[in-house]
Amino acid sequence: MKDPERIIRSRVFYFFLFLFFAVLLGYLFIALNSLLLPVLMGTLAAYISQPIINYLRKSGIPKSVAILILLGLFGFLVFVIGQRIASVVPSEKQMLELRVQIQYKINQNFLSLLGKNNFNSKGNVLDDLVGDELIPPIESINLFLMLDNNEEAKFLSYVKNSQISNRVKYFYDENKKLPFKQSKLSDAGNTKVEQLIPSIPTLKSNSKIALFFSAISKWIIMPFVFIFVLIDEGEIKKFILNIVPNRYFEMTFTTLAKVDTAIGNYLRGTILQSSLVGLTIFIGLVLVGFKLQAAILIGIIAGISNAIPFLGPIIGLGAGVIYAMIVEGINPVIPFLPANPIVGVLIVVAAAQLLDNAVFQPLVLGKAVNLHPLVVVIGVTGGSIIAGFWGMLLAIPTIAVFKVIISNVYKQAKAYYIIY
Amino acid sequence: MSDAKKKSSNPIWGNYYSKFFKSSEESIVAILREIPMLQTLKRRELKIISKYAHERAFEPGEFVFETGQPGAAMFIIKEGEIKIVKKNASGDYIDLATLKDGEFFGELALLDNSPRSAAALVNSPTKTIAIFREDLNNLLESHPELGGKIMKQLAIITGLRLKATNNLLIEKENEIQKLKEILDERP
Repeated sequence: MKDPERIIRSRVFYFFLFLFFAVLLGYLFIALNSLLLPVLMGTLAAYISQPIINYLRKSGIPKSVAILILLGLFGFLVFVIGQRIASVVPSEKQMLELRVQIQYKINQNFLSLLGKNNFNSKGNVLDDLVGDELIPPIESINLFLMLDNNEEAKFLSYVKNSQISNRVKYFYDENKKLPFKQSKLSDAGNTKVEQLIPSIPTLKSNSKIALFFSAISKWIIMPFVFIFVLIDEGEIKKFILNIVPNRYFEMTFTTLAKVDTAIGNYLRGTILQSSLVGLTIFIGLVLVGFKLQAAILIGIIAGISNAIPFLGPIIGLGAGVIYAMIVEGINPVIPFLPANPIVGVLIVVAAAQLLDNAVFQPLVLGKAVNLHPLVVVIGVTGGSIIAGFWGMLLAIPTIAVFKVIISNVYKQAKAYYIIY
Repeated sequence: MSDAKKKSSNPIWGNYYSKFFKSSEESIVAILREIPMLQTLKRRELKIISKYAHERAFEPGEFVFETGQPGAAMFIIKEGEIKIVKKNASGDYIDLATLKDGEFFGELALLDNSPRSAAALVNSPTKTIAIFREDLNNLLESHPELGGKIMKQLAIITGLRLKATNNLLIEKENEIQKLKEILDERP
C-alpha cells in the first residue's frame, strides 16, 4: 500500500518540477521567439511528410534514404520556386515604374467606372450616387503610391538616362496632373515608406552575405527539426509516457494516438486543399493569358492565403487584380475568354472558389475539424493582432489543433474513469 | 571489436545513450522471447517489437486497468504478480486468475477497443511491458509479415482460450446436471 506521506512528498516534488519547467519554457518561448517559426515549420513539414515516408518504406526504401529523398525534393522545390519568385520581384527602378503604373491604372479604371474624363468632370449615375464617398479611399491609395521627393529625383534621373520607357514617363506626367498633391503626404508619406521597408538601408550597408547569414542562422534549424522529427521511432512518445503516472498511462497513449491521427489528417487536408486552390488559380491565370511567372506568384499567394478563412480568397483576388491592372495586351489561350485581365482574374478566382467549396473541401477535409464561423472570425482577427500575417495564417490550424486535443483528452478522461 | 571497446570505454565520448537503450532493448527482447505468442518470431523481429514496448512499474494495490475501461494495450509481466479480478453482485472482488513472470493479459485489447471484461490488480511489486493496439496496427502497415505473424498467434491463443472456456462450461454444465440428478433422487 502507498505511504500517504510519500504521496504528499511526491506531489510537492512534481508540483515544483512542473512549475520550474513551466517558467523555463515560458522564458524560452519569449527569448527564442524568432526560432519559433522555423521549428514550427520544420515540425509541420515532417508531420505532413509522414505518409510519404511510410509509402517509400513500404516500397522497400530504407527510412534514412526516404528522408534524404524527401529533403532533397523539398530543397529543390524551394530553390526552383525561390528562383522563380526572385525573378519576378522587381528591382528599385522597376518598383518605381510599377508604382507609377499602378497609380495611373487605378485612377484610369476608377474614372472609367464612374464615366468621368478627369476628377473634376461630371460622371455617370454611379458618380452621382457614390462618387463623393469613393474619393477619400482613392485619395489615400494615391497618396500611398505617389513618389516622394527622393523617389521622384531618382525616377527623373532614370528618365534622364533614358532608362524609363516613354509609356511610363507618360503615366508619370499624367499622375502629376492629378488633384492629389505631394504636400499632403510630405511627412506622413516618408514615414510610411520607411515603415514599409525599414530594412532596406541596413541591407545595403550589410551586403548580401550578411543578409544570407542572418536568414540562414534562423532557418538552418528547420531541416534539422524536419529530419529528427521524421527519424524519431517513437522516442518522443516514450518519453511523454514515461513521465505520466500509471493511472493515466493507457489514456495518455490513446489520446496521443488519436490526436496524432486527427491533427495529421487535418493539416495534410488543409495543405492539400490550399495547394489545389493555388494550382487551379495558376492554371486559370495561364489560360486567361497571364505570364507564367506572374501566374506562379499569384497562384502561390492565393494558395497560401487560402488557409485563412473568408479573408484568404480576397487576398488572392487582390494580388490577381493588382497584376491585372498593370498588365497590358493579354491574349487568352482559350478564344472565348474575355481579353480584359481584371474580368479574367475575377472569373478564375470565382471558379477556384467554386471548385474549392464543391470539390476540394468535401474531398480533402471530409472528416476534418468543424469550427463555428464566429470562432473562425475571432480567431483570424486575434491571430492578426498577435502575430500579423503569420498569426492570421496559423490561427485556424492552431485553434483546430487545440480543439482536437481538448475534446480527445476530455473523451478519454471520461472513458478511463478519471473525470465524471 | 577492440575498437568498439575502446570507444565505449572513453569516459567523455562513450556512447552512453546507445548503451542505455541497448541494455533495455536486450532485456525486453529476452522477455518477449519467452512469451508463447511471440515464440515463433526471429530475434530481428523481436527487436522491432521491442521498439514499441513500453516498460511500466506498478505497486501492490494499484490497478493496471479496471473493468469497463476501453482496452488499448496488452500487458506482459516482466516480474511480479497480477490478479485478474471481477466484482460480484455484492460488490466484492472475486479472483479469476493469478498471473506471474512471463505471462500476459489484456490481449483482446490488441483486436478492438471494447471495454475490459475484468480488472487487473497488482499483488506484489510488478514490472510489465505494454504493447498497444495502435502500434500493432502501425506494425501491420510498416512490417506486414511481422504484424501478420503476431495476429495469427493472437488468433490461435484466443481460439485456445475459447476452447478452454467451452470445456470449462461443459464441465460446469455436467456438474450442474449431476447436482440436479442428486436433488431429483432425494425423497
